[in-house]
Amino acid sequence: MLTISHLKKRFGQRTILEDIDLTVHQGDVITLIGPSGSGKTTFLRIITTLEQADGGHIQFAGIDKDFADLTKRDIQTIRRNVGFVFQNYNLFNNKTVLQNVTEGLIVAQKRSKAAAKAIAVSALAKVGLADFQDYYPSQLSGGQAQRVGIARAIALNPKVIFFDEPTSALDPELVTDVLQVMRQLAAEGMTMVVITHQMSFARDVSNQVIFMADGHVIEKGQPSQLFTTPKVSRTKQFLAEILATV
Amino acid sequence: MSLDTAFMGQVFKLTLQGVPVTLKIVLVALIISLPIGFLFALIRIYQVKVLSPLVRLYVSFVRGTPIIAQILIVYSAFPSFLAQFIGKTAFNIDPIIYAYIVFALNSVATLTEVFRSALQTVDKGQLEAGLLVGMTPAQTFLRVILPQALISALPNITNTTLYLIKNSSLAFIMSVKDITAVAKTQAAFSYNFLEAYLVVWVYYLVIAYVAEFLFSTLTHYFSRYLVAEPNKNWFQRLFSFRQPNTAVTNTQAKRAQFIAKEVNHVNN
Repeated sequence: MLTISHLKKRFGQRTILEDIDLTVHQGDVITLIGPSGSGKTTFLRIITTLEQADGGHIQFAGIDKDFADLTKRDIQTIRRNVGFVFQNYNLFNNKTVLQNVTEGLIVAQKRSKAAAKAIAVSALAKVGLADFQDYYPSQLSGGQAQRVGIARAIALNPKVIFFDEPTSALDPELVTDVLQVMRQLAAEGMTMVVITHQMSFARDVSNQVIFMADGHVIEKGQPSQLFTTPKVSRTKQFLAEILATV
Repeated sequence: MSLDTAFMGQVFKLTLQGVPVTLKIVLVALIISLPIGFLFALIRIYQVKVLSPLVRLYVSFVRGTPIIAQILIVYSAFPSFLAQFIGKTAFNIDPIIYAYIVFALNSVATLTEVFRSALQTVDKGQLEAGLLVGMTPAQTFLRVILPQALISALPNITNTTLYLIKNSSLAFIMSVKDITAVAKTQAAFSYNFLEAYLVVWVYYLVIAYVAEFLFSTLTHYFSRYLVAEPNKNWFQRLFSFRQPNTAVTNTQAKRAQFIAKEVNHVNN
């Protein structure tokens, strides 16, 4: 459904991503793990066209092109077929919870207000925030804000939702609520690509784990394999470090 | 020392005719300079070729010179300049026109910077979120970024307006009969300078206060989504102008996020 090949990215002289491949099938839950600065976020931002690639190929939503050849129309097509959940939520500050969810439905998908509202209400109910429709983002806790972020993404009914460290900005006690919603989404068959430091989520929910470091994919595999018998020493080292601090 | 209260009452009545003149200068200057200032801010932010450095030059010229010098230059240069095209009638133009020009030109520079900084306070993430729910950059700008920027610009627009009200008192130099000019004339007739100036003082105080109240009401209404302070009714607001400061709110939110992230990293 989504195939990225030979993706490259440089900032000036520095190589951020080198020859990254990714294949996502319908219903996949893929987690990206790795130390900070390994290029995970940049990778997602390039797929979702928030950043430009310096090389590579994308196959998605009827597009089959090198990144360099994407037209404005292609970019718009990609944006309209993905959902994105940001690390720091990025809810529209000047809009209520309900408006945050309906905005894309009304403006981009050209749905009627009533239809958009119905979709939004059910998306908010799904993340447990049906009673918060008229709140503004500034009145929400981090966990609630992030769940609105998820509702905003699922309401658009995208082919795939990208999560960029959705729980990193949250207080520890709020992480559970958000992860719970994500587990439920995965169980319903939503296609998801998730950057996370929550190893338990990666282990329990995903069907593929990709370990990245220094702009390379070091190792990928099923969680049962990668977490118990990693093949590469760099992966072992990272897992040992991160599991030691839990 | 005693004040001639009878004279003050008389000046008070006479000076009333200067009030509409002062208000006209302020309003016209604002109406002209708000859209132009906004346009200039966009030119600066999007680094429009050729125009952007020109705007920057203009802003630094205006900000780097005292308004009195600007008034003297416009008031002496403009009529002679116009005279070359329309002949002697240039010297018969109502001086208030020159007041409009000077104060508008002056406010444009301030407002350019006000709008520029306001647009920049809106987090880049708002644009990205808009793009990834499928909106175009223009739709996101109009529906998400602009409303937030205008609201965070309001406190500074209030300041600009207050400065404008006070600076407009310099219009007397161009022989415009505003509040200050009328009172000065009266004072010169009778040599009761202090009394006349006290009247001027009261007039500006009242006008500035009313302007501040109007803007405070406007800011309060539009920034309801910030929920920075408990709702106050109009009477409470009449006695306390605390405008929610969006810049501070943003920084505080970012700091809180940063701390939360650190805590989370440690816990992981």
